[in-house]
Amino acid sequence: MDTARVREISQIDSRHLKIIWTDNKEQIFDVVSLRRKCPCASCIDEWTHEPILKAEQVDEKIRPLRIDSVGAYALSIHFNDGHRTGIYTFPFLRGM
Amino acid sequence: MGLFSNITEKLNPKKPGEVVAKIAAITDQDVLKQLSNVMDPDLHKDIVTLGFVSKIIITSDANQFYSVAFEVNLTTPACPVKEKLKEECIEQVMILPAVKNVDVVMTARATLLKAPSGGLDSLAQVKNIIAVASGKGGVGKSTTAVNLAFALAKSGAKVGLLDADVYGPSIPLMTKPKPVSTQSENAQLVEPMESHGVKIISVGLFNQGSKASVLRGPMAAQIIKQFLSGIHWGELDYLVIDYPPGTGDIQLTLSQTAPITGAVIVTTPQEVALADARKAVEMFQILKVPVLGVIETMSYFICDGCTKKHYIFREGGGQKIAREQGVNLLGEIPIESFVAASSDDGKPLVINYAQSQSGKAYTEAAAQLVREVSIINAGDVGALKQFSLMWK
Repeated sequence: MDTARVREISQIDSRHLKIIWTDNKEQIFDVVSLRRKCPCASCIDEWTHEPILKAEQVDEKIRPLRIDSVGAYALSIHFNDGHRTGIYTFPFLRGM
Repeated sequence: MGLFSNITEKLNPKKPGEVVAKIAAITDQDVLKQLSNVMDPDLHKDIVTLGFVSKIIITSDANQFYSVAFEVNLTTPACPVKEKLKEECIEQVMILPAVKNVDVVMTARATLLKAPSGGLDSLAQVKNIIAVASGKGGVGKSTTAVNLAFALAKSGAKVGLLDADVYGPSIPLMTKPKPVSTQSENAQLVEPMESHGVKIISVGLFNQGSKASVLRGPMAAQIIKQFLSGIHWGELDYLVIDYPPGTGDIQLTLSQTAPITGAVIVTTPQEVALADARKAVEMFQILKVPVLGVIETMSYFICDGCTKKHYIFREGGGQKIAREQGVNLLGEIPIESFVAASSDDGKPLVINYAQSQSGKAYTEAAAQLVREVSIINAGDVGALKQFSLMWK
């Protein structure tokens, strides 16, 4: 089981997020892609796992307002389009 | 206000020598001024003075119409006047000229916002959070939570015990906690009660007498959230949370809100209980909460006539599930009449019957738990427990 957690989380520029994991792996995320890959039930069909949200529905200008930890296993992103239901688990992020 | 004016300047940069537009640009100050007309009916102050308003974003379109977005952070998620306040906010901001659209996000995480780096204020000084859970009810989960907490406290640790069993809070009866008269440093946080040095809070302490809690899932989950953010725990080495049985709403809320260090699964030996315990283990695996071990209760009965162990609910179930899930068996607690009596009398076993078989078993289980927690912590060096990142 991948148990790595967040050691450092920071904003690099207006659309990039950097996470350093406890195993020293570094990742840079494009926040627009994060919104497009939102794993919540209104963006991905719960049963078929087919995407409901289409990439083109997400504006290039979308940005987070804030990013919070969820328990010890995930983070949630509150986007400025009001969407905030996605729970991005650490293994999910690490697999991106 | 520096932050707000920065945002506005970015969105509406002032060019040198710019001619004043026909419709004056709306500023954060204008929005705040309007919002200062919105009163919180309980606190008798306006929401701006109370510091509830944040993240004002003003945007304008090509036709010089403005959209205003902001957050209102309430002190309680169950605020009864939430919708009314929201409407008033929209109404007030719409008064401003050329405002076409107002977007209000109502949140209820005031404590979180006050400490953007640390997370939940009330848990800021809590080093480890231990979930005591079971799949099936009636397996002695609360008895286990109580005795682990008191055994940890007896070993010199600072311990808190949170009874999260909204529907069947039994910790007050089992521990008979007393209020402690301390001058609270933070009037917004509730002081826990105490019993033998363990800080205790339970839904049962707020529910007069033995009234049943008849609540829908979302309400129960809200109560739990308030519990996690609203208690003045102070500095704790261990916070033991007595989970309600099962794998539902409340269990998810607990694990998503608090950074749980690890979970202890309680089960009786028979297959019916084991089947549910497996589900509890799986739930924690999904939530990435490490399972610290299994405690088997009602393992056997020693009658007073002979010394033979009678395995009433079959033998070795706890061992079986521990091996199967690759976790440790922290203890096997026998059936003794004073396990039940000590719970009913509010005198925890590990304090009052420390030398009994079950008392010793719980003390040993707590010691093993401490070892498991330190192993987890050693592997987690440098991990952020809780974080909030404000996007700029």
